[in-house]
Amino acid sequence: MITITINGKEVHLDKQMTVLEAAKTAGIKIPTLCHHDLLKPYGGCRLCVVEVERMPKLQNSCTLIAADGMVIKTESDVISKVRREILELLLINHPLDCPYCDKAGECELQDLVDKYGPTVSRYKEEKRQVPESHADQIFTRHMGRCVVCTRCVRMCENVQGASAISIVGRGNHSRMEPFSPTSFNCEYCGNCLTVCPVGAILSRLYIHSFRPWQVDKEIETICPYCGVGCSLFVQVRDNSIKRVIPRLGKGLNKGLLCSRGRFGYEFIESNERLKNPLIRKNGKLEQGTWDDALHLIANKLTEIKKAHGGKAIAGMASPRCTNEDNYVFQKFMRMACRTNNIDSISRTGFAAAQNYIEDLLGQGVTSNMISGLKVIVIGNAKGLERFKTLAVVPPVFKEADTLELLLTNIYKAKGVRGEKAAVDKMVREMIEKPAGIEIKEMDELVKMLLEGNSISIVLGMDLVQRSDGHRSLFAIAALTYLLEARLFLLSEKPNEQGLIDMGCVPDMLPGGRPLDIGDFKHKFESAWKGSIPEDSGLTLLEMIEGMNNKNIKALYIMGENPAFNLPNGSHIKDALKSLDFLVVQDIFLTETAELADVVLPALGWAEKEGTYTNLERRVQLLKKAMHSSTVMEDWKILADVSSMMGYDMDYASSEKIMEEIAKVSPLYRDLTYKEISSGDCLWPYHGEPLRGELHKVPITAGLTRDYKADLYLSPEKPLFHSGTLSRRSAALRKICPEPALKISAPHAGKLGLKEGDRVEVSTAQGSINVSISIDDSIKDNRVLLGNNFEGRGVYNLLSYKIDAITKAPGIEGCEVKIERKQ
Amino acid sequence: MFNETILKEIDDIKVRYPDVRSALLPALYIAQKEYGWLSSEAMAAVAKALDLPEAAVRGTASFYSMFRHRPAGRNLIQICTNVSCLILGAEKLVDLLKARYGVEPGGTTQDGRFSLVIMECIGACGTAPAMLVNTDFHENLTEKNIEEILGKYK
Repeated sequence: MITITINGKEVHLDKQMTVLEAAKTAGIKIPTLCHHDLLKPYGGCRLCVVEVERMPKLQNSCTLIAADGMVIKTESDVISKVRREILELLLINHPLDCPYCDKAGECELQDLVDKYGPTVSRYKEEKRQVPESHADQIFTRHMGRCVVCTRCVRMCENVQGASAISIVGRGNHSRMEPFSPTSFNCEYCGNCLTVCPVGAILSRLYIHSFRPWQVDKEIETICPYCGVGCSLFVQVRDNSIKRVIPRLGKGLNKGLLCSRGRFGYEFIESNERLKNPLIRKNGKLEQGTWDDALHLIANKLTEIKKAHGGKAIAGMASPRCTNEDNYVFQKFMRMACRTNNIDSISRTGFAAAQNYIEDLLGQGVTSNMISGLKVIVIGNAKGLERFKTLAVVPPVFKEADTLELLLTNIYKAKGVRGEKAAVDKMVREMIEKPAGIEIKEMDELVKMLLEGNSISIVLGMDLVQRSDGHRSLFAIAALTYLLEARLFLLSEKPNEQGLIDMGCVPDMLPGGRPLDIGDFKHKFESAWKGSIPEDSGLTLLEMIEGMNNKNIKALYIMGENPAFNLPNGSHIKDALKSLDFLVVQDIFLTETAELADVVLPALGWAEKEGTYTNLERRVQLLKKAMHSSTVMEDWKILADVSSMMGYDMDYASSEKIMEEIAKVSPLYRDLTYKEISSGDCLWPYHGEPLRGELHKVPITAGLTRDYKADLYLSPEKPLFHSGTLSRRSAALRKICPEPALKISAPHAGKLGLKEGDRVEVSTAQGSINVSISIDDSIKDNRVLLGNNFEGRGVYNLLSYKIDAITKAPGIEGCEVKIERKQ
Repeated sequence: MFNETILKEIDDIKVRYPDVRSALLPALYIAQKEYGWLSSEAMAAVAKALDLPEAAVRGTASFYSMFRHRPAGRNLIQICTNVSCLILGAEKLVDLLKARYGVEPGGTTQDGRFSLVIMECIGACGTAPAMLVNTDFHENLTEKNIEEILGKYK
């Protein structure tokens, strides 16, 4: 225990910390400029000086470690004088253009000068003149205002790891610049913007459009983009989003954001938003009334249910919709449409992986918080490259074999604890097979893993999208078990976990309760006042086959775009066209909605309340920031249709739906909005996880194909785009306006291609025209293309083969031809 | 951008330091020696050779005044015109260079052979006038021998 005295107040510290941190714990504020809580102590600005008894000079509190018995004063005449003089020196060059500067009102320098002075400067020199730079699409730089605190550079280098900017020049001429003096050409996380204390780095999205004190309200909500679930603070004025910012220490992102979260919000106010229901008349979608549209849906679905039974109807839920939407969706499908044919795009990755792994190890194994120091990368994970301690590059499409080899080695070195006999048996069988590959880093990898404690395994969904995806999943599950590791499945969409928890899967009810266990089914039946259809439904890709075979007559899609987001787009479109009746509920007229018989406009993120469950299984609250008068919540539309079809559903608000979920779902038991908004709502809440038993069939043989082609096409998950939403966000489109095919330098050289060359990419499925981008992180003969831009998504070029066990699409090994095009 | 020889030279420097960042200044000198100045491409090539961020390389390079950020001649003449050199005729030497090579102080000859910079004292007052050509030191300059000396730099 360290005891120090600050301003006459005794402060007890239970661990080593700086005087600045100690003062903060005691509620004493010391002014700072270069210090930032997300960054390491720097000691540059000297504003945090304090007096320490028996130390001859003023000390920097940000770098001074508190020692037992220190007596500290944080304010005195001498200290104020020193601070005033420091500020006076900064103001020699810092322009007094506050009336014009967007930072005014939230400028740290302005606040400090307000507190400590000076009111008049003794320096009469002219200020340095640095022109504003508007060369970048997103950031403006006003380097005349820069106080060279280097927060932005330290943030970029030490926290983000991008090292895209640095201080250039010397002395008076020092300023922050990216490498290319024009565009930033970086990840556009905008974290430099967060930490800038003055108006030196500003966002062009809102420049000169409002003052910080002019926002009508600020709403804390959750990011609509990926499954991490960062907290966003949305500032609104006149029912329009002015900006999105993070707040220090708030949410699991604790003040950091990425490009999509920070700059990708414009989609919600896009002109392309659907405002009225559309009904197909004489082959064309025409504007209709809500009444007509809902009655048409109810009548058509009832008709099909009567003629062919509930099994002829299927539904696709959405990992972008809230838990409440998805809960009502599956209830509508099961009770009103009388079908268990409910699945979602998550079947192509997250749901398939989670299902398989939880079958092996029990529910909740994928609920964890992420932490770690050393990073080991297996395969291509570009963003992690800069943090890696060890990288292992498996031979092309041999990731499953590599993981099995790793598992064999770990098993031999460590043995098994004998609790999970089934895992043990399968690993033993695996060891007897020859591995067939060699990995030179294997010994080091095994050593690092066995020495490590508290290992986190993060699994990207690329490995699941293989026709032998379950082999990788088994290896990962067994490694998690043997290493007592924590497992994370990366989730591309914000609510993939919630969607599964809500029962939007063909074989499980809310709370992950299997449909085929009578006790669970009966409980839900008595709560929902009706019978639930008996048999398990079809998974996503089985539904597609069902449509092609004419077994599925009607499909209800909520917030999903399968015509674009599933491999083999033309095959999917054909399947959708063969339906008798297709309903799409969405915020945009997507490729899928264009094929629908009825299109219903829904409220989007920031317009509605609800909850998301992130990939750690943390339940978080989405709040309403804006109003929309013409459209409805997804759950409201569903409840109305359901009531028209004879199964009454009536909820006053999404909170009421959560009340029902908290009653019926054994996982979300007793959860309330109040509790969720009060802080961390982490697994297992108050509920009872289910410990499952091994259902799945044993591992089948590996991929037997020879991979001898020159180049293979694989999907990429680009940083700036997710597809439907991001491509309608002007800022993200500016950062990344065009799709690009990523290719390794040696392969580009072989084809005689340079950065930016236009090429035609062709596979058996079709061809598209894109430019190329040479990427040094690609180590094999794969070329990568994202699935984001209209008409030019990689999924249009890929065919798939269903993994018999996980039911995910295998899309590996698509041979591709690349030709230069003018 | 760098040929094998330069990459080898940079690799040799790298092993001298425990941290690769320490090899940055010598590597920048190698690049400058090769191209006469540090273009964006040259700095990017140094960053790649040392596996350092490009922005950090530019930040460091821009701090030191002896790195050049504009095209310069193959050889850099730094001539002193401070008191001792001035008394002993350094200004005449500068005039001679202007006339003979058509180069102004701060400028470069048309053929890119020389850049001329006026230096403050280079610590050779006892043997003034004096100049540096690249890293070579030349003293006791006269109108006669300066041409002879410069003749050796192509």
